[in-house]
Amino acid sequence: MVRSLFLFDMTFWLYLAALTLYIAYLFARRPVMTLAPAGHSTDNFDERDGAWATQLGQIATLITVFGWIVNTGALFTRAFERMQTSGTFAPWSNQFEAMAYVSWAIILGYVLLELRYKIKAVGAFVVGIGFIAMGAASLLPYRYQTAEPLVPALNSYWIYIHVSITLTSYAAFAMAGGLGVMYLFKERAERRGSTSRFYAAFPDLETIDELGYKAITVGFPLLAFGIILGAMWANYAWGGYWSWDPKETWSLIVWLIYGAYIHARMTRGWEGHRAAVYAIFGFLMVVFCFWGVNFLLSGLHAYA
Amino acid sequence: MNGQSDAIPEQHSPRSPTPGLGWEQFSRELVEFFASIKLAMFLFLFIAITATIGTVIQQNERPESYIQEYGESTYRWFLRLGFTDVYHTWWFTSLLGLLCVNSLTCFHKRFPGVWRSMKQDRVSVSLDFVKGMKQQAEVSIASSKEMVSQQLAQHFIEKGYKVLAKNEPGEVTIYATKGVLGRVGAHMAHLSATVIIVGGLIGTYYGFQEFGVCLEGQTYHIPRGNFDLKVDKFWIDYHENGSVKSYNSTLTVIDGGQSVVTKTISVNDPLVYKGIWFYQSSYGDSWDQIEVARVNIKDKATDKVLKTVDLEWQKEQAVADLDLKLSITDFVADFAFNSTEKKVFSKTVEHANPAIRLAVIERSTVQSTPWIFYQFPDLFDIKESKYQFELVGYKPKKFTGLQIAKNPGINIVWTGSTMIVVGITLSSFIFHRRIWMKILPAPEGVTVYIGGTTHKSQIDFQKEFRKLTEKLRTFSASPS
Repeated sequence: MVRSLFLFDMTFWLYLAALTLYIAYLFARRPVMTLAPAGHSTDNFDERDGAWATQLGQIATLITVFGWIVNTGALFTRAFERMQTSGTFAPWSNQFEAMAYVSWAIILGYVLLELRYKIKAVGAFVVGIGFIAMGAASLLPYRYQTAEPLVPALNSYWIYIHVSITLTSYAAFAMAGGLGVMYLFKERAERRGSTSRFYAAFPDLETIDELGYKAITVGFPLLAFGIILGAMWANYAWGGYWSWDPKETWSLIVWLIYGAYIHARMTRGWEGHRAAVYAIFGFLMVVFCFWGVNFLLSGLHAYA
Repeated sequence: MNGQSDAIPEQHSPRSPTPGLGWEQFSRELVEFFASIKLAMFLFLFIAITATIGTVIQQNERPESYIQEYGESTYRWFLRLGFTDVYHTWWFTSLLGLLCVNSLTCFHKRFPGVWRSMKQDRVSVSLDFVKGMKQQAEVSIASSKEMVSQQLAQHFIEKGYKVLAKNEPGEVTIYATKGVLGRVGAHMAHLSATVIIVGGLIGTYYGFQEFGVCLEGQTYHIPRGNFDLKVDKFWIDYHENGSVKSYNSTLTVIDGGQSVVTKTISVNDPLVYKGIWFYQSSYGDSWDQIEVARVNIKDKATDKVLKTVDLEWQKEQAVADLDLKLSITDFVADFAFNSTEKKVFSKTVEHANPAIRLAVIERSTVQSTPWIFYQFPDLFDIKESKYQFELVGYKPKKFTGLQIAKNPGINIVWTGSTMIVVGITLSSFIFHRRIWMKILPAPEGVTVYIGGTTHKSQIDFQKEFRKLTEKLRTFSASPS
């Protein structure tokens, strides 16, 4: 228990470091004028400043990848510990583990995105959300963090696939939410005609919008699959595939919200600003479905 | 899926000559309305909003608990709007029905086009058609017709397109397409909504869901399946730290007088026989039977405990040295008396006021049948006897709560579920692109007219199209 908790803790600090570095990376690309001492040519500083920023960005990426590896290690260690206390090993069997898994998936998604599109500025937002997920997990009371044996209803092989798929879809929606926030930042800067180099590393609005949409098109089928796996499990455990349990209903609500979004993207005027606001709204609904339902509403899923 | 960008200008159906509200126009507008994306968005969001009601207000509770929590007038509104059972109200079901109509109309309206483009796409199109596309460009290349068409075909094949070409006198038409499966997927998802709901309806009308409280060793008749079910055993397994590992019941199906199947079910492992599923759903202490009770026998005169005996359920037991036989004939967990029927019954299933009924047999006749209360040992005095009895403790029989369900629609629901997952996945990751190119001779080389359309991911397509036109320009740079 102690070993995995130590690793989870370490993950938290590494993600915090990565986030700080990503933000520093953005600030490192501030206008050269403010940094260059009077009488010096700004051109040189521009270059050096840029090199410094690039190095910062590289370190940020390295720390993120390292944090993700530690996160992976923590999940594996937890799986091993679960193996000893109860028959199953799914390292996403309670709220704490689920949160740690979601941040793992978010960071993995981000690393893939950075590899594919070479955009580091996204890190300040998406790694931020991954960090918040990890942080929220570590704020949970200790009794939620330990690997207690599973209650009989959860003790099934369905937990491996239903929970992991659903959580992965949450991670995709979280990325879309982060990109939505980034979009609004960038848009505000553009509207104000900000020349700040803080935004220089940001990709253009169209790209942010497109990436957000892509994240949702990944999350949407995953959530559908997750819900259906849940229905299959319910059919084995509860005697009915759908019982309008709050968690079921809320995951359906979230799915419908993104369903409306997917359809809206087909019509004109639903890209850009509106889509970004909608993605943030959708993500808040995901947060409610993930946290709110467990702690505020009662129902069959109230295991935490 | 997309109404605007998808429509091909040439495909205008001939308008009905009579103006005004002809049936044809009316039905066309009706289809237009029911197939619209706006209706879909409205339904998605409206269902999402109304579905929250049932998660905030507890569903199917007793009226008292609503009145207690919300007050009487609010409760009356709840009843009027169906908020106490939202998901089965006429209006919520209608919304789901409307979603089916919406997706089916969309399928009806747009799938034929998808089907046509899967089967046979028109290669030869007019120049105006190409120019009228949403994405279109015009590039002049100093090269020969054959050369350009070959390079173009090469380019598209490399990109994974299916390429068709038509060589006509004076012009070459090339058609390239990719990803029609994405649109098939979308329509598969559209159909799935209806499939799932039909499966659900079949389950509601032809299936059932019951709850049975079964005691160990008893046999129960299952009328819906016309067979018997014997509950052999119920037990609980524990983890080392004392938390529950699993609840188990061993069940035997007796069909036609013979035991057919014996299976130990647990929470995630039901028994299925003749389409009827038996789930381990709950367990508890029986409210009308016990296994054993411990009774003190006191001498009334001295008020001393003469003997303590453990009596088994409904078994006559002689008490040594006392010339007395005792038997427990009844048990209630929560004693209550129906004065009109003169019957004792258990008010609730809770063990709130447990009592046993003793048959006291002295000199081989039943002398008295007193009720002995666990909580009130001195409540009744047995006049005929010199003994006083006290119920010291008892061990209730455990019952196992079985959920018994049959759902003949389940496989239809799973079919629909598969369709929706496969459909959405296809339409999320594959998008349909169609590009037409006309290569016409120009004074210096050729002019390529190029037009393309996609049903979604316009931005991606725009980029691809831009790259394509840039690529086209490089053809002229190296006229070999």
